[in-house]
Parts: sequence; C-alpha cells; structure tokens
Amino acid sequence: MADVVLRDVVKNYGALPVVHAINLDIAHGEFVVLVGPSGCGKSTTLRMIAGLEAISGGTVRIGDRVVNDLPPRDRNISMVFQNYALYPHMSVRENLGFSLHIAKRPKAEIDKAVAEAAEILSLTPLLDRKPGQLSGGQRQRVAMGRAIVRHPDVFLFDEPLSNLDAKLRTQMRVEIKRLHQKVGTTIIYVTHDQIEAITLADRIVIMRDGHIVQIGTPLEVFERPVNAFVATFIGSPPMNLLPATVAGGALRLADGSTIPMPPGLSVRDGQAVHFGVRADNIMPEGHSMPPTAHMAHVEMPVTLTEPLGTETLLFATLAGTEVQAKMLNPRPVRTGEVLRFGIALDKCHLFDATTGASLRV
Amino acid sequence: MDQGQSHRIRRRLLALGHFIGLLLAMSLICLPGLWVVLNSFRPTVEIMAKPPVWIPSELNLDNYRAMFGGIGEGGVPVLTYFWNSLVISLTSTVIALLVGMAGGYAFARYRIPGKSAVFVGLMVTRAVPGVALSLPLFILYGRLGIIDTHFGMILVYVALNVPFTIWLIDGFFRQVPKELAEAAEIDGCTRWQAFWKVEFPVARAGIASAGIFAFLTSWNEYALASQLTRSLNSKTMPVGLMDFTSQFTLNWGGMCALAVLMIIPALVLTFLVQKHLIAGLTFGGVKG
Amino acid sequence: MYRMRLPPWLLLLLPAFVILLAVVAIPLVLSFYSSFTAFQLTRPETITKWIGTFNYQKAMGDANFWAAFGRTVLLLTVALNLEMLLGLGLALMVAKVTRGQRLLRTMMMFPMMFSPILVGFQFKFIFNDNVGLLNNALQSLGLTDVAIPWLVDGSLAFFAIVFAEVWTSTSVFAILILAGLFAIPQDPVEAARVDGCTPWQTFRYVTLPFLMPFIYIAMAIRSLDVARAYDIVQVMTAGGPARRTELLWTLIGRTGYVDARMGYANAMGYIAILLSIVFTVYFFRKLTTARTSLGMGD
Repeated sequence: MADVVLRDVVKNYGALPVVHAINLDIAHGEFVVLVGPSGCGKSTTLRMIAGLEAISGGTVRIGDRVVNDLPPRDRNISMVFQNYALYPHMSVRENLGFSLHIAKRPKAEIDKAVAEAAEILSLTPLLDRKPGQLSGGQRQRVAMGRAIVRHPDVFLFDEPLSNLDAKLRTQMRVEIKRLHQKVGTTIIYVTHDQIEAITLADRIVIMRDGHIVQIGTPLEVFERPVNAFVATFIGSPPMNLLPATVAGGALRLADGSTIPMPPGLSVRDGQAVHFGVRADNIMPEGHSMPPTAHMAHVEMPVTLTEPLGTETLLFATLAGTEVQAKMLNPRPVRTGEVLRFGIALDKCHLFDATTGASLRV
Repeated sequence: MDQGQSHRIRRRLLALGHFIGLLLAMSLICLPGLWVVLNSFRPTVEIMAKPPVWIPSELNLDNYRAMFGGIGEGGVPVLTYFWNSLVISLTSTVIALLVGMAGGYAFARYRIPGKSAVFVGLMVTRAVPGVALSLPLFILYGRLGIIDTHFGMILVYVALNVPFTIWLIDGFFRQVPKELAEAAEIDGCTRWQAFWKVEFPVARAGIASAGIFAFLTSWNEYALASQLTRSLNSKTMPVGLMDFTSQFTLNWGGMCALAVLMIIPALVLTFLVQKHLIAGLTFGGVKG
Repeated sequence: MYRMRLPPWLLLLLPAFVILLAVVAIPLVLSFYSSFTAFQLTRPETITKWIGTFNYQKAMGDANFWAAFGRTVLLLTVALNLEMLLGLGLALMVAKVTRGQRLLRTMMMFPMMFSPILVGFQFKFIFNDNVGLLNNALQSLGLTDVAIPWLVDGSLAFFAIVFAEVWTSTSVFAILILAGLFAIPQDPVEAARVDGCTPWQTFRYVTLPFLMPFIYIAMAIRSLDVARAYDIVQVMTAGGPARRTELLWTLIGRTGYVDARMGYANAMGYIAILLSIVFTVYFFRKLTTARTSLGMGD
C-alpha cells in the first residue's frame, strides 16, 4: 500500500495542453474518485499515474518512489479498464493468474491467489470459461479479480462500470466498495457519473478542461460547491440557476420580482449573480420538509410533472427560467396549475455571474 | 531516480535502433526497384560495363525513345502491349469484382449448407498453379478458337481473381450490420435498392481493396499469358518483356524502360487506395 | 405457372461457379484424363492412348521428380517462414512510426507492384556473376576479388531464388500483419503492461495471439500463390544449373512444353496441386483454430 502524490503534473499532446499543472495528494488506503465531463483530463491523469501516458511535466510519486520514467510494470499497480481488457485467448483462470505467471511466481502460489480472488468475486464456477462465454457483469468481475491477485500498491479504475446496464451498475458499485473495505488498498477511480462518484468516494476530485476545480468529501462538494460548474455537475437533478441582481439587500430576478437575500454571503450592491437552489430546497407548500429559519415564497405555474414514486419532480417557470422542484407525498398536479413554493434560503447559493465563483463565505 | 535514468537511456537507444532498422529495411525493399528505374535511363553499354560505372555519366531517354520508336527500328510495340494489358486487366477486374460482390454477399448474408467446405473449395481453385492450368487451357482455347484474344485472357483472369475477391468482399459485407439493410427495406427500398443504396456504399472501401489485388494480379501475370497470347492481338506487357531477350543477348536498358511503364500505373493505384487496403484486409481477414 | 426457383445464395454464387468451372474445373478434368494417357503435344492423336496409372508410377519412381518435389517443399518452408518473420518485423517497425506512415506503407508495398517475371529479370541481373550489381558492389567495396557465381553454384542459386522470392512476397505478410496490428484492441495490451509484462512479454502473450489469425491468412494466401515462384525461377535459372534449382513447376513446364510429354507433365501437375491444397487446407485449419481461441469464430 502506498500514498500517491501528483505535483504540477502536466500533459501536452503536441502543443495542445490537456492537463494543466495539477496537484493532488492521495493518502494511503484512500478511495479517490476523479470525476468530470468527457475531455476534462481525468482519464489522461489516471493513465499518467499508470504509466500508459508519458508525463509532460511535474512529478508523480507512488509510495516513496518518483515513477515518472518507470514503465507500468515497475509501478506495482493494477488497473481495471472500461472495456474489461480481458485476454480473449486465455481462460478466466489464466486471466486471473497472468500477472503472477509473468512474475514467475511458483505454481502453488498462483493457484492459491487465483482461488482466493475467485472466491471473493464468486467466480469459482467460471474459472475454466473463456471471456467470450461470460456476461458483461462476469467479465467486469474477472477484470477486478485480475487486479486484486497482484496485491498492488494502488488500484486504478478507468470508468469500469460504464458498459453495464443500470441494475448491474448499482450492484457492482456495492461490490467495489465492499472490495475496498476488505483489502484496504488505495483506489483511484475515474468516472463521468457523479452518482458513482458520490456513492463510492472518500474524496471526490472534480476536473474540468484539464484543471482540478474542487477536491472534497462527497458532502463537501455537494453542500459547498466552489463554483456554478460544480454546483450543476454534482447532484441530481442539477441545481437550478436563476440570473439575478443584488439590489438593496435582496435579489431582483429577471422579471423584476425579488427574493430575500440568503444568509452568509458576501456581495456588493448591483452585482450580477446566479441564484442557485436545488430541487430539494424548493418545494410546494403542504408537500415539503419542515420550514427552516430563512424561507422565501414564490408562485409558479407547473409545466410538466415526473412522478418518481415517493416524490414527484415538478418543472415550473420562475422569472422566465425553468426550475425543477420536488414534491413530497405527491398528489396529482395539472399542467398549468399555479402552486405556492417555499424556498429554504439557508441552503441556497449565489455565484458571481461572470466568474461563476461561489459567493459563500 | 537511477532506475528512471536508465529507462530513459534505453528508450533513446530503442528509438535509434528502430530508425536504423527501418532505414535498412526500406532500402532493401526499394533499392532493387530504384535500380531498375535508374537503368532505364542509362545506355545498356554502361550498365554492362566492366569495371562497373557507379556514377552514371549521362542519363537519357534513349531507351524510351527506342521503345516507342516502332518495330522497324528495333523497338517493341509497347503501346499495343500497354493497351492490351490495360483492357484485359481493367475489364477482368471489374467483372471479378461484380462476381465477387455477388458471391461475397451470398456468403455474408445467407445460410449456405456446408458453407466452410464450399468456401475452402472456392479458395483451393486458386491453388492450381498457372503452369498446370496453362496446358489444358491451351488445348481447350484452341478448340474454342479463343486463343490470343482479349476475351480469352479476361476469362482466365476473372477466374484467377474471383476466389480472392469473394473472400475479401465477404469479410467486408459482414462488417455491415444486417439492420442497415433491413432499415432501408422498411424505409421502402427493394432488397436490390437496399443493397446498392446502403450496403454497397458502406462496404465500398473493402471492394476497392479487393479491386487493387485483382488488378495487380492480372496486370503482372505471366505464366498463363505467355501460353495463351500469341501476337499483337492480346500480348500483355509481362509477355512483352520477353521481346527484349533473344537467344544470347538481352536488352536490359530497354527492358527496364518497359518495366517502369508497367510499374507506374500500379504504383499510382496502390498509393491512392492503400489506406482502404489496410482497412479492407483488417475486416476481410479476421472476421472472414 | 410453375417456375423452378433456386435459393438466392446459389443464384448469387452461380456466376462464380460457372466461371471457375469453365476455366479451372473443366481444364483440370481434361488434364486429369490426359494424365492417364501418353499424350504428346506434338502428336494430338496420342491423347486417346490410355496407359492407366503409368505416368503416376513413373513420377513416383523418377528421382528428378522427387528431387524437385523435395526442393519445392524446402523452398516453401524456408521462404514462408522467412517472409513471416521479416514481414512481422517490418510491420512492427512501420506501425510504430507516427509521421509519414502513409508513405512508408506505400513503399512497403513496392515489391507487390512488380510482375514476378520482372522480379526474375531484376534479380537475374543483380546476382549475375559478371556484371551483377551485387558482385560489382562486393568487389568495389573490396570484400571479395573473385566473381561469386551466385546463379551457377547450386546452393548459392537456391539462396538467390529464396532471396528474390522473399523480396517480392514479404510485403504480403507485412501488410496483412500491419492490418492485424491496427485491429488489435488497445485495452488488453495496456492491461498486460500494467500487469507487469516487459515489452517482449506483452508481445509474446498478448499481441502475437491476436496476430496469429492474420499470419495464417497470409500463409494461406501465399501457399495459394506459390506458383508465382515459377515465373521467378524460370527467368533466373530455368531450373538449372543442371536441375539444381529445379522446382515442381519448372519441371512440369519443361516436360510439357519443351519435351512435349503432356500426359506425364499433367500427372506431375496433379501431384503439385495436391501439395498446394495440403498446405492451404492446413493453414485454413490453423486459421479457424486461432480465430476460435480469440472468440472470433462464426
């Protein structure tokens, strides 16, 4: 086991920079998820740690070794790939034991390690099959098994669940978390799915355009996003953003109506901002959480409803912008019906309209 | 740190080795050919000189002038050969492609009883050496009176190329999802229209690569042509090369000039479609 | 009205069947028949003179035939293996190049554009003991002062033929293997590197198994095409000197056309065809196995 440290790590493709001098400290045994939209540099970063991409600048350290110039085989890492990357000409058993076979370990030891891994991942009955005869979920488990037999310092996961169907994905998510609890190895995990990130990670690293935007625990990035990008990227449905202006201690929306200023913010009078509120914090009266100390009230016509069972997602219009709100203990709502909504202001956010930065202090 | 350093040095050395290896291989591949091109511009006397002349004293077009000069002046009816080669190769390639498309489509889309046996059977016809075929064909053609005709040569070359075009094109049609044609049929196409409007365009690259192979085979074939062509009616360029030889002498410079004339069309064609060639072989190969 | 309907696949394959029947099968039947006769090209009436399996028995007992047979198998084995190894090396080197690969690929295919007959003449001149490029170069560089009899000495001539054969046909392997290299999924290769493989081990355990189908395809194509060697050998040595580079095809050609003993030539031709078919079917078998083991079977 080992910690992983990235210092000013840069990746350029020719003249095109794809990762800009990022810094990241991953502690021993930590589960860190790199998340961001496609093309944000998260996979490239992971592949630099693996040694599959050359590092254009800065240093990568695993444990006490700077690994910049080491080939992947000398880094003592394991990787699980998006497309499983199983060797199609080898049986499951041979796939699992391949790295140990390459390392010229004694046969007995290989058999023991393979049996162990197969047991953990319930692959034992499949050991003599070829990858072509396995289902998607089984292949994924073999790929994970191949990673754990080596007892590496670090596990790397590159979007391992994106080829699975929704149900299997949820199931494998649990298996990965359980695996981490069992072996306790440092894990670096790349995904574009923020739900995966929140459910799995000890800490989330949110990336965009080759920069790290925010690092924090799932709760931190959910509750205190540093900017409008993180606010809309993390959480489902995405946070509603309404253009507004700060006017005399209140917020004036696009249609001239006002909302009281949320507490705990640092703003100038006349500043152009985006008012951010999650669907969980804007609910119709009589179908909401108990009110908090700071409440605002608005009336909105409902344009569309999406029943989710225990709650209903309401699409409504506020000051010309579409807003998503949640309705607890739902009742049927007609399209066009005007409801009165309560906004929990102490859970709301303000972002500068030009920089996008959070104005929370 | 030390480990990193040695890895960096090794990488440099490997890169250097790679470059040298590539250079060596490419020279081995290209030099004999370039030597032919160079000799086509030199007088035969200088080529045959002893001691050898390494740096040519003069390069001229004499060989080409003589070649195009006509039969009377020791030239060779090269334009006629060129025309024969072109007509025979192009026509046989087009026909082989059409037949190959029909056959490849059948293999890719229909259940055929004993499919792999039929397939290997087709391929094996290619295993018959031209020299073994030329004897009976000569007799047969003689009876039919199609010796020394374009038609006869085209027929032979179509047969020579069909197994291979079927194979390559089959692989390519397999890459085209069945749903594509089905969608087109639902959109109102007949099966025939669905083929030409949807499946054919998607598989076009593979068909082009099959075409190149067929063309090169016909363009360069000698064993059969030497038996089945007799005169200016149908003699192709590879057979024409023999005009430069006689019992004891050989006009090497002239031969090189004709060789250059043979290579240029092949070179241009290959360069144009080489990208599709690789793609075509990839699909045709593994999935076939 | 009742019409007999052929299944569509047969209809589509019909043109191919008809042409192959006309140009390959019928002549083969004809020559198969004549291989049981004392047919001589100069005396057409001899085609009716049935002599049973005499020609085959004669071939079986003919030392020249067996020498040519052995030499042909040797040439095939040596040439195919050399071509495979060199083609593999060449493809690996070309695949690593990032800039100018298009040009390199075209250069790599250069020999494929040469007519085998031209290749024959070209190497006849390169290996000529008196004015050949090779001896000239060796002498000018001072590596030797005698003219090495490349095409006169039996084993040197065999080497020269193998060289010419390998020169023309390595491209076929290189291009097919290159196609294979492009088709290899990158994930397993990267997985192997992370799993601790050295570049050599990655090649040995992952890349090579993926390439095997392509190698067998190239082998199959080449074993179908080996008759190309006839043109080259015919021009370079015509089976000489004193039959020391005689291959099956040159022997058949000479027996049929020069000695005009068509029946006997056809009998030997059949044995040569059988040899080709054995090679081809063998490689097709290998191909199917390799494909199945990669999970790519039908």
